[in-house]
Amino acid sequence: MEQNVLLDLSHISKRYKTELALKDINITLHKGEILGFLGPSGAGKTTTIKIITGQLRQTSGEAKILDTDTVNIDESIYEKIGVVSDQSGIYEKMTVWQNLSMFAKIWRVPSVRVEEVLHQVKLYEHRKKPAGKLSKGQTQRLVLARAVLHKPRILFLDEPTSGLDPSTAVSIHKMLLGLKEEGMSIFLTTHNMEEATKLCDRVALLYQGKIVECGSPKELCLKYNQNKKYHLLLNNQEEVVLEQSPQNIAKISEWMQRDEIQCIHSCEPTLEHVFLQVTGASLGLASM
Amino acid sequence: MDNINKLTAVAQIKWICITRNTAIMIGPLLTVAMVWMVKILYSINSGGNLSPVLVSLILSMGISLNLCMDGFLMVGTAIAEEKEKHTLRVLMTSSVNGIQYFIGSILFPFVLINIINIVVLLISGISISQVSVVAFLLVSALASLISCVIGMIVGLCAKNQMNANLISYPLMIVFMMIPMFGNLSEKLHHISGFLFTGVLAEMASGFAEGMPYTLKPLDIAVLIGELIISILVFLVLYRRNGYEKD
Repeated sequence: MEQNVLLDLSHISKRYKTELALKDINITLHKGEILGFLGPSGAGKTTTIKIITGQLRQTSGEAKILDTDTVNIDESIYEKIGVVSDQSGIYEKMTVWQNLSMFAKIWRVPSVRVEEVLHQVKLYEHRKKPAGKLSKGQTQRLVLARAVLHKPRILFLDEPTSGLDPSTAVSIHKMLLGLKEEGMSIFLTTHNMEEATKLCDRVALLYQGKIVECGSPKELCLKYNQNKKYHLLLNNQEEVVLEQSPQNIAKISEWMQRDEIQCIHSCEPTLEHVFLQVTGASLGLASM
Repeated sequence: MDNINKLTAVAQIKWICITRNTAIMIGPLLTVAMVWMVKILYSINSGGNLSPVLVSLILSMGISLNLCMDGFLMVGTAIAEEKEKHTLRVLMTSSVNGIQYFIGSILFPFVLINIINIVVLLISGISISQVSVVAFLLVSALASLISCVIGMIVGLCAKNQMNANLISYPLMIVFMMIPMFGNLSEKLHHISGFLFTGVLAEMASGFAEGMPYTLKPLDIAVLIGELIISILVFLVLYRRNGYEKD
């Protein structure tokens, strides 16, 4: 395993009775990288995280995390990784501080670190509040704070912003980018393509248990930009979308010379369009 | 050191969760209140003098109630609550292992059950000079341990707190009612001798009636046997699905 490869999945498959949930998954995660696992509900994202973190055994293939085969890992692996799922609960009857200090005790983390993390997620003022009284966004920040308390080398996030309002989602995104800056590797599963484009260095598109495409968001969008188009807003407020052709290039050039263009944008496909093109299904409908 | 840290953390979490859960904490309070009230009622009916038979009845009721309500329900419901609130998986993915969770989960209920057993003994109206304290504490500790392990089994099987209550009820009928009404029927009294709750209740009744108590081989076999059986059942269930089924 390369030194900066922290996670290596090789030909991973998972079968539940008759259903094949994962088919031949191959992917790596490098140090300081955010890897997005994208796909609709039921695509196999959570199953993959459970296999990697030793909560589930794969049917075939090999998964290595921090140089250890996941078949051989024990609970000590959780001292080096952090796990957040959309179902990660908090102790509602404990205060925010207690919620973190209990885990600080488990991981032998000094209480200064608890303070530091609470400041980081902007919950320090709420430290004496029962965790059950926090808003959904604050709760998710607390869950995230708990997951990074012991400075894990890899952070697994399963739909971390699912159901959150945009401003809370943005604050979580900022926090994740900050953690990446500190050198933490993040394995993120989401069905939010915008989130993936904004955060991820690489994304793997998962559909019906199979990786159908993998690369950086930009790379993928450019790869599937087969019909190049330009969106223009003219001075007369007319909006036009023109495909790339010699005639249209001449037309745009003429408008430019006459200073008739207010703004111009190239129309690359978004990750959602790429997903649609690769799978023939939209994210919302794919799971239906 | 690492083990102790984790175990203490789990025990502390359980302590906070249990003491702040009214549905669970009603158990020990109810046990003490019931014993106290029944004692007063019996005293009034018997003209202020409690006969050894009545003290024996009070003790059987209090001890059986405590072992079942506090053991099965407290331990079982606390685990079920963790499943319901999705904190069990969080704890198990934070480097706490199965044994640490097991011990941490039963530590507080185990101590509380024993304290309540002593409180029941003290308020039942029995003269302490009649009690062989060491034997009582020993049998109480063993019975509480069995009760906690059964509570862990309830917790393993339950999906939520309501479910934990439902699973506990049939167990409570057997382990609580039989010793409680053992004095009323010869058959029940005989069956009660094969239950860990019955062994402790019988011991306390013996003290109340002023009989010198010696732990019989059958009592030891019942206590050790039921402890082993409950641990084996727990292990079989735990190996199948862990604390939480996927």
